[in-house]
Amino acid sequence: MFGWSGTILRVNLTTGAIRKEATNPADTAKFIGARGLGTKIMVDEVDPKVDPLSPENKLIFAPGPFSGTFAPSGGRYDVVTKGPLTGTIAASNSGGSFGPELKYAGYDLLILEGKAAKPVYLWIKDDLVEIRDASHIWGNLVPETTELLRAETDEEAKVACIGPAGEKGVLFAAIMNDMHRAAGRSGVGAVMGSKNLKAVVVVGMGAVKVADPKGFMAAVEKARAAVKLHPVGGAGLKAYGTDVLVNILNETGALPTRNFQDAHFPTANKVGGESLSEKLLVRPKGCYSCVISCGRVTKVSNPKYMGEGEGPEYEAAWCMGPDCGIDDLEAIVKTNFLCNEYGLDSITLGATIACGMDLFEAGHVTLKDTGGVDMSFGNADSLVELTRLIGNREGIGDKLALGSYRFAEGYGHPEFSMTVKKQEMPAYDPRGVQGIGLEYATSNRGGCHVRGYTIAVEVLGNGAKLDPHVTAEKPFWVKLFQDLTAAIDSTGACLFGTFGMSGEDFASMLTTLTGVSYTLDDYLKAGERIWNLERMFNLKAGFTSADDNLPERLLKCPIKTGPSKGEVSHLADMLPEYYQLRGWDEHGVPTPEKIKELALD
Amino acid sequence: MLIKFFADVRKFTGRLEQEWTRPAPTLRELVLGLAEQHGQAFLDRVLPGGKLSATIIVLVNGQSIVHLEGLETALRPEDTVAFFPMIAGG
Repeated sequence: MFGWSGTILRVNLTTGAIRKEATNPADTAKFIGARGLGTKIMVDEVDPKVDPLSPENKLIFAPGPFSGTFAPSGGRYDVVTKGPLTGTIAASNSGGSFGPELKYAGYDLLILEGKAAKPVYLWIKDDLVEIRDASHIWGNLVPETTELLRAETDEEAKVACIGPAGEKGVLFAAIMNDMHRAAGRSGVGAVMGSKNLKAVVVVGMGAVKVADPKGFMAAVEKARAAVKLHPVGGAGLKAYGTDVLVNILNETGALPTRNFQDAHFPTANKVGGESLSEKLLVRPKGCYSCVISCGRVTKVSNPKYMGEGEGPEYEAAWCMGPDCGIDDLEAIVKTNFLCNEYGLDSITLGATIACGMDLFEAGHVTLKDTGGVDMSFGNADSLVELTRLIGNREGIGDKLALGSYRFAEGYGHPEFSMTVKKQEMPAYDPRGVQGIGLEYATSNRGGCHVRGYTIAVEVLGNGAKLDPHVTAEKPFWVKLFQDLTAAIDSTGACLFGTFGMSGEDFASMLTTLTGVSYTLDDYLKAGERIWNLERMFNLKAGFTSADDNLPERLLKCPIKTGPSKGEVSHLADMLPEYYQLRGWDEHGVPTPEKIKELALD
Repeated sequence: MLIKFFADVRKFTGRLEQEWTRPAPTLRELVLGLAEQHGQAFLDRVLPGGKLSATIIVLVNGQSIVHLEGLETALRPEDTVAFFPMIAGG
């Protein structure tokens, strides 16, 4: 095979059995790789009703065909499993260098099954695969874990691991790779912890075989040039990082503030990308084969919040900042460092604390409940303290570790949780940007912006310029972006490549790399197939159209201040048309005709 | 009128925001007035060849001028006008 290595590595942690299997070319042609191929395995092998934290759930590390090639920003991989936060299929995507290294070791997928009897890590050096004792590193933070494992294996090894959060079953624990990159969302780190698996450590000396080397390099050069010439991919993200979005969302009136009580934060500029670059940025940083370098190497010298690390991204700066009523950038950066060290999804972390602050101010959570921690909006010291408590599951942190829905439900007020399918929504208010609300409601892994980033066309004018306040045309764009994103994720490419690259560029690179012909239509069809496969898993898990919804606050409580004052989400005006465009019935179930068309029968 | 500048647009103005008190009945006239103050580089960044740059986003009271009247959008003294470069992220 070209592009794919042709081998799947399967490790049963209960029995210790290690098997190498042939990758099925029919599956890679239909589901590409990474998110798509991992989901195919989950659908084939795992009961959708399985307890996500039981040995019967599987955990799949999945690079894509682009991973490890010169394709621009082709350094990504997905972790596919059933997520414990949502109960949906979870595909969490991460950058860095871990994904390419797994390909160099010779594997299209790493499938982990069962549960080890004691803490272990997996050591992979090309054909050599060993399950090793991890008792001595259990309990360590991510940086120490990474350094210790490199020291006892290979200094050049790439490490994906969990921190204390994953070990202790925080339902939004991340899997961290290359120390600072996160497969962040849906609690994939808790699944890894439930298997007593501390880390996967990889060194690979192989290469990715290319079907048409000249054609591939021509397609790669064209794509790289397109990204470099684009004002966002070429310069903007490197200069300011993704946090540059704070100000434009605030000026548009769509920056969720104080747990979505409002959508405008007067001091937003203090936590935006311009301020971050001016005050705390050490240097920009890119992932494997990246031409963008949106990553932020940052440092805080103030003794109160001292630390060095990476980030924050826009979403983290928002949820730890305006969503908590906080404009102290140093506290936000420190909290982001802690998320990376403990292995936490920064979005759910910040949004869960915001929900807790909302409940606290409403009197539903008291100082007695919090153990004396003042959870008022705006308290930056509490933000930092609560993050440590959650990472260690101590005090009130033990309850917050379940995410905002279960936390708020525990105090009798689930309506305070700003979640879809129990996953916290990110940093764009669906009352101020209509299409993204439909996207959140229908996302296959719960509230999430990177399943279909309509903000590009609704706010940023990237590709098209749609009015964010109207609902017309939004179902079409949501479906298109969801399908395209599923295809891009499944190649192992970074979504930010779309800031310059066209769908044709992706299809052209995939064709010349793999030798399997993909037109743009084929590529989008593969994305649609993957989207429907994920949907079918969720339906079998028990989800229904009633779960394609938004919190009541967004449907009934108008934005109070700012440019979008008075707006609510008009989800009900968009959802039926979305189902129709998808070829689903009125209950959101793919019709037999659609299933046949996508060859999913 | 409150005028705000973000990201690389600030490099041309040297400031985050300013009050504008001179007459500016439309956005075009405001941009030309700002260019008198901030120089040719600002004009070239925002209005090259007399047309709005494809890599500039202008909001009037939070609404993109693409959905208003473009450069001919009428302005009032109580308005807020924000200039952004094309940006993205997520």
